[in-house]
Amino acid sequence: MSEYLNENVVIFLMIAALLIPIYEACRDVNVWQKMLALASVASKVSILILVVSVLRDDWMIGVVGVLILSVGNAGLMLLAHILKRVNEA
Amino acid sequence: MIGSMIVDILGYALIGLGIFFWFWGTSHLVGRRSVLFKLHSLSISDTLGSMAIIAGLLLKLPREWPLLLLAILSLAMWNTMLGYVLAYCSTTYDSTTYNPTTGANRE
Repeated sequence: MSEYLNENVVIFLMIAALLIPIYEACRDVNVWQKMLALASVASKVSILILVVSVLRDDWMIGVVGVLILSVGNAGLMLLAHILKRVNEA
Repeated sequence: MIGSMIVDILGYALIGLGIFFWFWGTSHLVGRRSVLFKLHSLSISDTLGSMAIIAGLLLKLPREWPLLLLAILSLAMWNTMLGYVLAYCSTTYDSTTYNPTTGANRE
């Protein structure tokens, strides 16, 4: 029983931490601040997926989380370079 | 019995440390500081905090160590790289006045 309680508390705290960058991404008008917040959302969600997969003992969900961690940042790097070029032009 | 209890407590302690790092770094995001200041605290907390959380998961479920190790490695590599790329792209400089040895713009 206490095991389930601990797991739910962990998930709840992680979702609470996830809400801060989401709020910041909605609020900020500066494109780099917004991008920073969205990058934070991306890594937090993938860790959340990993935690859920370990708690549910489901290997398939965990593979999705690791895939997001290993290739998800590439799109953000590309977007940052495009934004830099657009700002320079 | 006691050994498994210690491992369990250690796992939850690591996860708790990671979540503390998350809250600490993300709290700097809400404020009127520069992008680089936020990027610094955010990349520390997101990389180290997430690595602590995954290490805690590794103690809870050692059977899936290849997957979790891959997660830790890609986190350490790509999150650091993303920090550098974001810092490079978000700072604008004029290429005609830029001094590459000091990294600052000449007068």
